[in-house]
Amino acid sequence: MNETRRAVLLAAPLGLAQVAFFLAPLLILAATSFATDERLRGASLQGWSEFAGDPFNLRALLDTMKLGAATVVATACLALPLALLHLVGGPGLRRLILIVSVLPLLTSVVVRSFAWIAILGRDGVIAQASVALGVTSTPLVLLQTEPGLILALTQIEMPLMLLPLLSTLGRLDPALLDASAVLGASLARTLRCVVLPAALPGLFAGATLVFASSSTAFISQSVIGGGRLVYLPSLLWQQAMVIFNWPQAAAIALTLMLSVLLVVTALNATGRRLHG
Amino acid sequence: MMLRRRALLACSLAAPALLTRRASAAGNVTAAIYPGPWEEAYRAIVAPALKSDAGIDVAFEPLFAVDEIAKVRAARGNPPFDVMVLDPGPRASGIDFELYEPFDGAKLKNASKVPTGLIDKYGAAVAAQVVGIAYNPKKVAKPSGWPDLFKPDFVTHLGLTGLQTTFGTMCIIEIAKAFGGSDTDIEPAFAAIKKALPQVAAVASPAALPGLFQQGQVDLMYINTQTVTTLKSRGVDVEFVVPDTGASAFVTTMHITKGSQHVPEAYAYIDAVLATPIQDKLANKPYYLTPVNKDVDPGADVPMKSVDEIGKFVTYDWQKINLQRAKWIDRFNKEVAK
Repeated sequence: MNETRRAVLLAAPLGLAQVAFFLAPLLILAATSFATDERLRGASLQGWSEFAGDPFNLRALLDTMKLGAATVVATACLALPLALLHLVGGPGLRRLILIVSVLPLLTSVVVRSFAWIAILGRDGVIAQASVALGVTSTPLVLLQTEPGLILALTQIEMPLMLLPLLSTLGRLDPALLDASAVLGASLARTLRCVVLPAALPGLFAGATLVFASSSTAFISQSVIGGGRLVYLPSLLWQQAMVIFNWPQAAAIALTLMLSVLLVVTALNATGRRLHG
Repeated sequence: MMLRRRALLACSLAAPALLTRRASAAGNVTAAIYPGPWEEAYRAIVAPALKSDAGIDVAFEPLFAVDEIAKVRAARGNPPFDVMVLDPGPRASGIDFELYEPFDGAKLKNASKVPTGLIDKYGAAVAAQVVGIAYNPKKVAKPSGWPDLFKPDFVTHLGLTGLQTTFGTMCIIEIAKAFGGSDTDIEPAFAAIKKALPQVAAVASPAALPGLFQQGQVDLMYINTQTVTTLKSRGVDVEFVVPDTGASAFVTTMHITKGSQHVPEAYAYIDAVLATPIQDKLANKPYYLTPVNKDVDPGADVPMKSVDEIGKFVTYDWQKINLQRAKWIDRFNKEVAK
């Protein structure tokens, strides 16, 4: 009992800070979405009806979720082989993989996004290479296209997928792999029946982080995606900062948050069921 | 033990209050400033001058105009900074939302250096901006006016930007006018943009446009002279063109935020910004902020000999434009979306 009390007391400052600086503003945000203006002078459903009543906004919501899902799939496909290499590699290779995966986190997302302009643009590496190698007759410009944005987000968000994967697979007893081989399982079967189940918690944790981060990546979406790809974060920014329609901005913010939360909860539930 | 913990907690809660009080002691002023060249220039030139001439310390908060308006509104009468720096669109919003202290130009020693009309009951102009067309002379021919941007030889080089910024809105209005519209009817601009969309080099946020130009992704854009001079100074092939229908100009203004506890210091700060030696330094390498002080030369890329000529440029009624701007921004989103 005394232990619990002490734990509660220790957790209290952070708990109170969360209530004061996260929960309270969140409630104000929710109230704003149901108000006539940001001073909460009257109640109105206008913010929500303006947002939900326009098919354009709903398509932007769908595109945002699709962007998150595509980034999750791409990062998972690329991170899994790297994690396997980390599993079987020697200490030198392991350290190299760890450094390479953490390195992108050490540069600002703004810098990483701008660097992708140089890679994807008209005079960029991909455009030049596609012509030089004879893959396409005209330069392949991926800047301001959805595939280009997914490509860039995959690199930008990769650490969020790779790090949880490395940590869960790191706990896998290498003897299990030997046991599987000794019992006559092929490499594919070992991967499917031993490695993948062990990797699942990390995969789901990574998917959660990557989805939440890429679907709300305002800077990458606007710098690499450009004005023709419309996602909820940019609509939210416009309503809040340019048009000053705070009730609708609040409605968009809550929609984005709830949609991401919904997907993340579903991912966690699936992960728990598969694992447990 | 318990008591000490409580005391510690009380101290940690009280500390921010103490700090705030200290920061608001006399002789200080907090000013919002645009990030980038503005912030660099003001930290390097204005802050030391204000300290040595008036003994006032200025703290800067780097924010874009729209962010300043949003912050001051969210603060509900307890503003996070004493001076705002704004372009005409946000300035008009600030007037509507009553965000400024009344402004008295007579309190500025340097008021006479600024053309009449640029200091009013809301604030004072501190820099001018001239907006027109920028192009890369190595990649495209020199355009003569707005309709050229949409011609086959030019359109594939064009970078479009929307109505989120003052200069973007002004240029789209100018495009509308060139195709038969007006500053209240910009339909013709939307028609031209829609037709050009499959061919344009990029549709970008205003902040990303200079970067795309520098990277060679776009070779033609509408922008202000300050950006052109800055790009040029970094070795980018770029020239500014005054469109045949005339360049547009506007002034960036400073305002004292309503509820400011440092009104005299705020006047001293704005006064320092307008002084001839300061305006001269701000107008030169590497900052290139177009001066509003009549005694200062605006520089080679700015198509005026002195700010006195600003009356000859195309200007707009922003209170009227702001009424329609939300609708226009929404429309632009929908027209350009893939």
